[in-house]
Parts: sequence; C-alpha cells; structure tokens
Amino acid sequence: MDSNSPEFDYLFKLLMIGDSGVGKSSLLLSFTSDTFEDLSPTIGVDFKVKYVNLGGKKLKLAIWDTAGQERFRTLTSSYYRGAQGIIMVYDVTRRDTFTNLRDIWAKEIDLYSTNQDCIKMLVGNKVDKESERVVTKKEGIDFAREYGCLFIECSAKTRVNVQQCFEELVLKILDTPSLLAEGSAGVKKNIFKQKPPEADESASGCC
Amino acid sequence: MASSLLSPTQRYAAGTLFGLAIHQAQIHQSHPLGSPNHNADDDHDRNDEHHHQQRISNGSSSSGDSVSEDHHLWVHPDFSLLRPILQFLEIDSGAWPGIEETAGASLATHHVGAYLRLLSEEIEESSSEKKDLELGLAKGVDGMKASMEASTDSETKKGKQREYAQERREKYSVPETPETPSTSDEREVIESIQERTVAAVPEESSSHESEYKFNVEPVEEERILGYERKITVIYELLSASLASMSVDSKKSKQRKGYDARHRVALRLLATWLDVKWVKVEAMETMIACSVMALVKEEETNKEQTDPEKTSWAKWKRGGIIGAAAVTGGALLAITGGLAAPAIAAGFSALAPTLGTIIPVIGAGGFAAAASVAGSVGGSVAIAASFGAAGAGLSGTKMARRTGNIDEFEFKAVGENHGQGRLAVGIFVSGFVFDEEDFIMPWEGLTNNLERHVLVWESKHLIAVSTAIQDWLTSSISLGLMKQGAMLTVLSTLLTALAWPATLLALTDFIDSKWSIAVDRSDKAGKLLAEVLLKGLQGNRPVTLVGYSLGARVIFRCLQHLSKTEHQANLVERVVLLGAPIPIKDENWETARKVVAGRFINVYSRNDWILGVAFRASLLSKGLAGIQAVDTPGIENVDATDIIEGHSSYLWATQEIMDQLELDTYFPVFRGSATKK
Repeated sequence: MDSNSPEFDYLFKLLMIGDSGVGKSSLLLSFTSDTFEDLSPTIGVDFKVKYVNLGGKKLKLAIWDTAGQERFRTLTSSYYRGAQGIIMVYDVTRRDTFTNLRDIWAKEIDLYSTNQDCIKMLVGNKVDKESERVVTKKEGIDFAREYGCLFIECSAKTRVNVQQCFEELVLKILDTPSLLAEGSAGVKKNIFKQKPPEADESASGCC
Repeated sequence: MASSLLSPTQRYAAGTLFGLAIHQAQIHQSHPLGSPNHNADDDHDRNDEHHHQQRISNGSSSSGDSVSEDHHLWVHPDFSLLRPILQFLEIDSGAWPGIEETAGASLATHHVGAYLRLLSEEIEESSSEKKDLELGLAKGVDGMKASMEASTDSETKKGKQREYAQERREKYSVPETPETPSTSDEREVIESIQERTVAAVPEESSSHESEYKFNVEPVEEERILGYERKITVIYELLSASLASMSVDSKKSKQRKGYDARHRVALRLLATWLDVKWVKVEAMETMIACSVMALVKEEETNKEQTDPEKTSWAKWKRGGIIGAAAVTGGALLAITGGLAAPAIAAGFSALAPTLGTIIPVIGAGGFAAAASVAGSVGGSVAIAASFGAAGAGLSGTKMARRTGNIDEFEFKAVGENHGQGRLAVGIFVSGFVFDEEDFIMPWEGLTNNLERHVLVWESKHLIAVSTAIQDWLTSSISLGLMKQGAMLTVLSTLLTALAWPATLLALTDFIDSKWSIAVDRSDKAGKLLAEVLLKGLQGNRPVTLVGYSLGARVIFRCLQHLSKTEHQANLVERVVLLGAPIPIKDENWETARKVVAGRFINVYSRNDWILGVAFRASLLSKGLAGIQAVDTPGIENVDATDIIEGHSSYLWATQEIMDQLELDTYFPVFRGSATKK
C-alpha cells in the first residue's frame, strides 16, 4: 500500500536571511508563484515548497523565509541548522542592508550554521530601481569573493534573475557530494521502512 | 485580544511553542521520551536521519517534510488543533503556515529554545500595569494550588484504603510459595515458549525496560523566563485550548470541549518551562470557577433585570471578552449548555470558598483576574460541557438493558467532584469479590482528577472471581504450588498437559464463568466508548485505568473509539493492569492511536490465575497481563515484585499507580528504584 517511490529525488532545505524590507518574501513569492505584490513584514518565519527539475533530477525545495525585523532576530538562529543553502538578501538601494550582511548576518551564519559545506548566496534585490541604486555590482562581487559565496543581482518585481538565483544555488548544492547525501530521498525511504507496518484494522472480538 | 498580557511577538512565540508541543506529543505516541530508541537519536547531531525517524510515518510517507502535505499530523489544519489556538491568540493568519511548518519540521526540538528566548524578550516597554496583572495571576495560581492541596484530606482516605488493602490481602492473598530462584531449566522453558509467542519480548530485557533512566530536563532557556511570564503563557494557552472555536467550520471538524491532545501538549510545555503540573491544574480550576461565577451572575441577572441587559453586554462593557466570544464560536456553546441547572448547583457549592481560594485577588476580583488573559469567552465552552458532566457520568445508570449488559453504572469517588476539575478519571475493576471492590482500590489515589469508578456486571465478575479463588485455594493446586511447579505462569502452563485430571475438571468450571465475563467485558467496553463519544464526561479529557477484566473493558473501548473519526481527542492516558488481552491478533497500534498521552501496560510474570483463565490462547498469542506488549509507544511496566497473584491488584493498584506518577509527561515507574 505504501512505499510508492517519492515524487522527488532530493530534498533541500534553503534559508533566506537579511534585513527587514529587502524583499526576501517578495523574492520567494516571485520564485514560487511568479507574482509580485506588496507584502507586509513577515511575522516570525514563513515557509514555501517548490518542486523543480534541475540537472536531470527532481528536486523538492523547502524554503524558509525568516523575518528581518529585529524583534525576531533571536528566532532565526534555530533555522540555520540543517540548511543546505542560505540566501543572503540585500537591497541595492539601501546601503545599510548591505553593510549589515557583513556586520550581522555573516556572523550569524558562522555562529549557527551546522553545515560546513553549506552553500551561501549573496543576492542584491530591487535592481529595477536602477536610478536609486547605491550599492554597486562591483561591491557585491567583491564581498561575495571575500566571503566565498555565490552572487547575483535580481528584481523580484520584474522577475529578472529570480529563477537563476535559486537555480545557481541548487546546482551548486547538487555539485557538493556531502550536501547531496543529506538531501537524498533514498536515505529517508529506508528509515521509513523501519517503521512497523500499519496493519489494517482487524475486526477483532471473540464473541 | 486587548486584554492579553503578552505582546504580539510573545503571543507568536507562545503559539509556536504550543505547536511544537503538539507535534512532539504526537511523536511521543509512538516514540515515548526516554525509550532507548529516542535516546539514541537525541545524542548525536546527525539530525537528518533523526528527524525522519521522528517524523510521524503515515503509511504513504513519501512526500515528507512539509506539514501541509501530511494530513496525519496533529498540527495539520485538518485537525483543528493548532489553528484555533493561533486565532485565539490573535496571531496574524499569514504567519500560520510558517508556525505549522516549524512545529512539524524536522529539527523542531531545536526551535524550542529559540522561541523561549523570544518569549523572554521585553521588546516593547511593558507597562507596570501589565506586570502587576502578571504578578496577580501568578499569585492567584499559587493560591489556588495551595488551596487544592489543603482541601484534599488524602490522609484519612489513605488510611481507609490501607485498612481495606490489608483486609483484602489477608483474605485473598496467594498462599506462601517458596521463592526459589528460577532454575536454568525454567529459563529455557520460558525462552522456548517465547519463541513461539512471536510478539513477546524477551523477559529479561523487558523487565529492565521499565526502568527508564531518562528524564526530561527543562529546556535550558527556561531559566531566562520569569515565573510570572511562564504562568501567563500557560494560562493563555490553556484558555485558548478551552475556547470553543473553529477557524473554518466548513472544512474542519468542530472541536468540543477540552481536547486530550491539548492537555498532553500543555503537559509537555509545562515540563519545558519547569512549571509543576499541579499549577496547571490550578489554572484549569480557576478558569472553570470563573466561568461558573459568570454563569451564576447571568442567571441571577436574568431573573431581576430586563433581558436587554444580558451579561454579554456586561462582559463587553467590562472589557473581558476574549477573541473567542467575538468570533461567535463560543456563543453557540453558551446557549447549548449554560441553562443546565447542574452548573448553578456546582457554583453554589463553591461560592463560600471562592473568597479563600484566591486570597490575593479576593472573590470580587476573581472573575476579572481570571479573565485578564482574555479567557472568559473561551472558557464558557467548558462551562457548557461541565454542566453535562453533572448529570452525565453519574447519571449513566443503565436502567434500560443496553447491549446485553445488566449493570453499567458510574459512581463518584474522591473529593474532587463539583470542584471545577477539568480532567476526569474513570477506573474499572475487573476481579471483584463484592461491591466494595469496585470502589476501594481507587479510593486512596492522590491526584486531581475528578474520579469515577465503573461498576459493571458485578454478578458475573463476582462469580468468576470467586470460582477462581476457590480453585486456587483447593488442596490440589496448593499442593502443586508447594512443589514449586508454579513459579511462573509460562512454565506452569507448559506443564498443564501433565496436570491431574481433577484439576483440569475444576478449570472447566472456571472456563464457563470466565467466558461469560469476557464476553460482558467486551460489551461493556463498547458501551464505555459510547458514553465517551456522547461526551457524558463533560467533554473533558479522560484517563482510563482498569485491572483484570476492567482493563479489557478499556481496551475494547479504545478499539471501538479507533473505528470512529475520533483521534485521541477524548482519552488522555490509559493504564492497563493485568489485562486479559492477547498480544497477537489484537490491534494494539490502533488502540494506542486514540490515546493522546501515556499508555501503560502493567503486567506480572507471576500472575498465573490470569494465565490459567486465559490458557487457551496464551501460548499462541501471548497475554498482556503477564508479558510486555511490544508495540511502539506502549510503556511496559513489570510489577512482578508487587503483584504476586491476580487478586493482588485489589490492594496493590494504589501502590503501582503512585509509582507510575501519571502526572509526569514521560514514562516513569519508580518501583525498581525505590524498592531497594
């Protein structure tokens, strides 16, 4: 009855972090449902699932979108654990969101991430507002190189580079054997098999 | 909820913590805390495997890893367990999916600390008024707890029970048998039998299994939380659990009353927060009493003033309406039950003591203090179910012959009736010599349950018990025992083929009586299930405890419940003692599923009365009363040291129950530790 093969080959856990208002939730919405709307600040943590086919594999992405607001900062720490990919988002029109990545968020990752090989991705959002840009692409590239992470600029509003952002990250995860092993659906299936089979209800009774 | 003492962020944290607790409680149904299995996972950090083991398998299992796709999870919206709480706490509905996923996520236990920290943070300046209220609430809870402890004159009860136990022990105790250590021969015999009983666990290991060395330590972050804050959080969550509201009444089942799963989750949460369970019970009673007070007020108002000025308007004016009231969920509940005269009666019994119960706040401010956390609207639902209980259980006298049962009647025991207790205990005897034996074994228990005993089919039970006792004391069986042939049930039965014919003839006499009693117990179990399904216990969580055929009644009741749509919302805990239930051929797993909290099987390897009565199927199918049941999530407790024979349950039940510490969240049996 059970043990039908899972509808995905790998399951990856991704985490989105960054200051409040940089567009994490919008980016996620843009990626998962191809829409853009003005969102109110995230409360606590949000969660979305997206199935994608990449590199000939069926993938399930479980994406955790954390609140950027200061008051929820303490929560984020527990969500780093077990993430294979972390997306650090800043707003190219607000310099403080960029510097905070270095001053706050990068330190958080070092402190809380349990996964040595975890792939990090730096994302500069809101490039549709080119006229208001204050953080140059070069600055982003430099920081990414220094910190050893991927980099992309995108716009959740125009959907420029949104798919690419997630795809690049996932492809890199697929390239990393240790992460691949963690996300393997096969591993899980075996563990499920240890479960005692659920016997069907016996119409018991000794009357 | 204008009246909440918590900030929106804190309510968010509280809601998520409750979700985490609900999910963990479901996991612990099949992987109890402290079971070897659990320890092994918890120790290492390779959590990916761990989480999949932890995640509740659902048969189709494949999709994994997101709550929204897994309809078997208690935190899934379908169960209406978490969302109504979140709504009551006025958490933005946009945040609900995130909370659900967090609660059901793989590494959920790691979130507990983070959310506790969030709870402790004082982001916005909390007004001193709120602080005072928090303090007042905490003091109120302490006061209530003290008064609950004072009111239990358990000592006299215990004394009475002790006398009874002594008397029964003298009368029905198994004659002295030489306690020789089991020989290696015997062990071989046992082993060979166990190979045949597939489900059986090797006895050696099972007897150790009961000595769980594991304790749940309060979560580390618990210390940064102030005591008042903890009380407030639990109080608000409790209020939310009692509120009768449905987020989406079309799709999800309407909850009625106090869900057993909520109570189990609260118990876990209290453990995390290191708050004593008796304090949660005190809060339950406070809410119940405050509702009674309001109901009483309403009734008197109705008589005097014009109907326009209903107490609803009054409550609104007083600003003590909770979110539940506004959404209208609770309104229904009010019209449903409040007219019940039983409530009024219950209240007048309480009225004189209300003032002393909460000395700090005083009787006048009591209702208001209880409702600062916005509970009143919600707790009205409980008041309604309460009323039903008054007439409910004790009124369930089977005057009419139902389901071929001649006698089926609940009797109140203990002093917790009409005291606003929100948890019910039903105790079922099954090996009795006179009417008193239905009541006395349960008389001395010291817990805060509203206790009822089930008196059922006393004629048949007394007949079979007496017959067994007579057989037992017959000279032939005494002779057998003297030879030391009956050291354990299993070895005895193996030699059964070699029994003297006279002895076998005698057992035939037992058999006919026994099979009638077994048949009746099955029917009584069904009846008990129907009583629970009808909500006659007042829609309050029930703890079921029974020994001998009484345990069988309970087991049948659970099986019956498992065939309905009810999933662990009614029954909170179960203790089966010396249960005449085969291990094979019975679906223990489905029975386990309808119990939200602990499920304990107490057995005695020496209970050979049970073995004789049940010998037909013992060898092939195993027997719960003398062996461990190897089903995930069932706590097996070897009480061989205490139970020397089946009749021992009459007087030793008390002792076993004390050692089980039912109010502890995780498996406990102090027996082996304290014995020495």
